[in-house]
Amino acid sequence: MHLPAGYREQSPSPLAARHVETAWSFCADAAGTGLVLPDGRCDIIVYTPPGAAAVDLVLCGPATRAFSLSFEAGARWIGLRLRPERGALIWGEELVRATDRVLRGADAMAYLPALAPLCRLGVTGAEIETALDALPPRRADPGLTRSLEATHLSGGRLDVDRLARHVGLTTRHLSRLWRAHVGLSPKTYAQIIRFHRALRLLRDELGGGLTPIAAAYEAGYADQAHMARAFRRFGGFAPSGIPEGLNLPGMPGMPG
Amino acid sequence: MKFGYTIIYVADVPATVAFYEAAFGLSRRFIHESDLYAEMETGETAIAFGANVAAEMAGLAIVPNEPRAPAAGWEICLVTDDVAAGYDRAVAAGCAPVAPPAEKPWGQTVSYVRDLNGCLVEIASPMATVSTA
Repeated sequence: MHLPAGYREQSPSPLAARHVETAWSFCADAAGTGLVLPDGRCDIIVYTPPGAAAVDLVLCGPATRAFSLSFEAGARWIGLRLRPERGALIWGEELVRATDRVLRGADAMAYLPALAPLCRLGVTGAEIETALDALPPRRADPGLTRSLEATHLSGGRLDVDRLARHVGLTTRHLSRLWRAHVGLSPKTYAQIIRFHRALRLLRDELGGGLTPIAAAYEAGYADQAHMARAFRRFGGFAPSGIPEGLNLPGMPGMPG
Repeated sequence: MKFGYTIIYVADVPATVAFYEAAFGLSRRFIHESDLYAEMETGETAIAFGANVAAEMAGLAIVPNEPRAPAAGWEICLVTDDVAAGYDRAVAAGCAPVAPPAEKPWGQTVSYVRDLNGCLVEIASPMATVSTA
């Protein structure tokens, strides 16, 4: 998701794919900083500080804000990014209050004691996946899953009324499902997806890079000012000032 | 410029091809080994199916076709001399009925169904050739 050299993503095992969208790892070869863009997902991360004898469990709520990360050489993270509709797997009823929340170390273990055994050196992504699978399952409604799919495929351009009609649920019911399982409103999540698509339209991922006017139009912003506001909110930079070497997280609905 | 294809983005390309064979009596030209693209044997201008994920890969944002949602604002029209039989076959194969065959004032018999993906398909008799004097 985040960072330059040393960052890798891979598909989760078929069993874990029910909950997990991506298994990622990052091993810092050298000290540096990275910008982590919000993706609306929850992550479970095991962090190993350089030369440390212990590791830290980190639980992240649905991300809606960018943050800068500084790291030392030898720091190592392995993480699982949950499917957006699986946020309640780690947060349960607390998901509605977990937006941009980060629990570390003792707080994280106290919150999810079942994951405490993972806090040891050398733990693997597969072991975290197995531990996740042992948590009480929280089935997402098929209508919610289809509305997420439509949000991804449309680049976040369907509003909640349209989404509700699309999957045959009432707006109220669909919004409730989003809050309970994703932890975000369909609107906030769609805005994040739109931001990521606009980023890709402006850069050369989609063949050449569009002008700001064309990108704002195709991404679904009313004008360039709206696009600029979304960039400040989710990225902390202007459309004309996309950081060099910014690594875009893999997002459904978008080419890698 | 020349009209090349109509490409409909769908969740499952092979399933859609099989459905079009059963419901409308069309036959497949080919399904790509990736299962992300297929063309039907519809003469010079092919109906083709692309997977939703192929739209993603091309960087397109689309409203995915969805049986439960209102149909997209366009349709394909299949022409047959026996509209009633064509309509019955389509519905028997799992199409959702929309408008049973009816004769229009201009002499054409017209019916509508929605396919497995929710796309509108018109089944109609050929129009008499209009002479342009």
